[in-house]
Amino acid sequence: MIALTQQWVTTRMRLTLRNPRALVFTFAFPLILIVLFSALNGNAEVDAYGEKIRFAQFYTPAIAIFSLVAACYTSLILGISTARDQGLFKRVRATPLPMGIYLGSWVTGAMLTGIGAVVLLFVVSVPAFGVDIYARTLPAALLTLVLGAACLSSLGVAVSSLVKNAEQAMPVAQLTFLPISFISGIWFPLDGAPDWLVKVSHFFPLSHIVNAFGSCFVPGTSGSQLHGSDLLAIAIWTAVGLFVAVRRFRFEP
Amino acid sequence: MLSAMTFEISQGAAAPRTPCLGDDAVRVRGLRKAYGEHVALDGVDLTVARGEVLALLGPNGAGKTTLVEILEGHRRADAGAVSVLGFDPARRERGFRERIGVVLQETGLDQEIRVREALELYGAAYPQRRDVDEVLGLVGLEERGEAKARELSGGQRRRLDLALGIIGDPELVFLDEPTTGFDPAARRQSWELIDGLRELGKTILLTTHYMDEAQHLADRVVVLARGTVIANDTPDKLGREATVVSFRVVPGITLPAGARVERGIATFTSSAPTRDLAPLLGWAAAHDVELEGLSVGRPTLEDVYLELTA
Repeated sequence: MIALTQQWVTTRMRLTLRNPRALVFTFAFPLILIVLFSALNGNAEVDAYGEKIRFAQFYTPAIAIFSLVAACYTSLILGISTARDQGLFKRVRATPLPMGIYLGSWVTGAMLTGIGAVVLLFVVSVPAFGVDIYARTLPAALLTLVLGAACLSSLGVAVSSLVKNAEQAMPVAQLTFLPISFISGIWFPLDGAPDWLVKVSHFFPLSHIVNAFGSCFVPGTSGSQLHGSDLLAIAIWTAVGLFVAVRRFRFEP
Repeated sequence: MLSAMTFEISQGAAAPRTPCLGDDAVRVRGLRKAYGEHVALDGVDLTVARGEVLALLGPNGAGKTTLVEILEGHRRADAGAVSVLGFDPARRERGFRERIGVVLQETGLDQEIRVREALELYGAAYPQRRDVDEVLGLVGLEERGEAKARELSGGQRRRLDLALGIIGDPELVFLDEPTTGFDPAARRQSWELIDGLRELGKTILLTTHYMDEAQHLADRVVVLARGTVIANDTPDKLGREATVVSFRVVPGITLPAGARVERGIATFTSSAPTRDLAPLLGWAAAHDVELEGLSVGRPTLEDVYLELTA
């Protein structure tokens, strides 16, 4: 059973990595963003998380979450709805492979790809743009990354259960992600945004993921930066996604 | 629910892998399935013996797909008894899925997956899988093991589908229109392949639109129309006690009742050809007319099918 799961997860990841679209959005595009933004803004400072932070120090974790969304949310919605349209789920359903392992391989593959993309961003940003990582906040950052990946994947599976077909998947994924990304502190910090906007943004999971992760990279803070309320919000959205996915998942178009 | 209640032969998931109850691979009695107002299957009885190759024929909308999908466990019946290899397919037990192989039309596969990789991956869940190289050889894809699914031609894709259907060494193989869209050479190849499966002792249930395919492959033909079985016999015997007579129509001749004329050729089916031909031949002799293209023969399976489903 474990060997079977492992085989499906590794193959799933291999297939994802062979897919140029996923590679571009998850790995290349965020890297280009970081390089361009850092080149444009140099050592400018940004008001974020109540502090003045160097540009790359703010943007690297923010764009990292963008990467995580691309891998866990967008790619999963498109991947699952395409697989369903093409009859892959129907094929698998007629084999002895437990559906849990099959769906699990999609989700685990997406989470590992997303986390890998985030790690890659830091591997580039730390030496290239002098981004600092703190051992003190690293456990909170990693925990946020894993919970965030789980949350985005669960919502990805939920949305893929709701969309009609693969054609609908891309616009739905983008239209649910992009507007929310603008009010979640990915493109610019929420510091100084009007109160009502902050309240709206706090309703969605993305701002909590960005905040819990980004806080770990704010210089001069103390403590572990474990944000309980953000993690709770992330957990609630994960549960909501799972609930919808379990109720609405379908194997055929 | 209903199908579970009327399920005749019960066998637990942990039951040993032994042939169960008689020699029937498939046993269906009084199967009914409706989609809202539309009745797709209206009391279907069907038996497929172990090792038998059965062709399921019928026009589009006859209920073929619904019937096969119920047998595969994709749909639930509204009423009736269904037993496939001793299992109730609607319960979709793992032991059941381990013993069937399903080759659907147009089932997707990751475009980026390699042929060998796909067979290893999909084979992994079966307890008694066949050797990957052996299966590749069986379907004639031994040269394409490293090719990606998207690089395969249409015919190669279907052969990969077939390979995936038999990788788990199933006892019963469902083939849904296995050669639709093939060129004649590829079709011949597939037939040889399916004959090979028969020799391995597999039970095969295939649906097809091609009469020559049924004629060539099947031990028995079942014709489904409007949700019921309207014929069930060997391809050779099916409706063949009749004789088909055809000839070029000449002016003034009186055709027997039920004769069709198409592009100047009259055709009729008769169970007493001597009696029915006598007046025609008498008339022709009396008027010194030659009946061009006169032929008296057994109907093709296609004739029978068209007659049955008309």
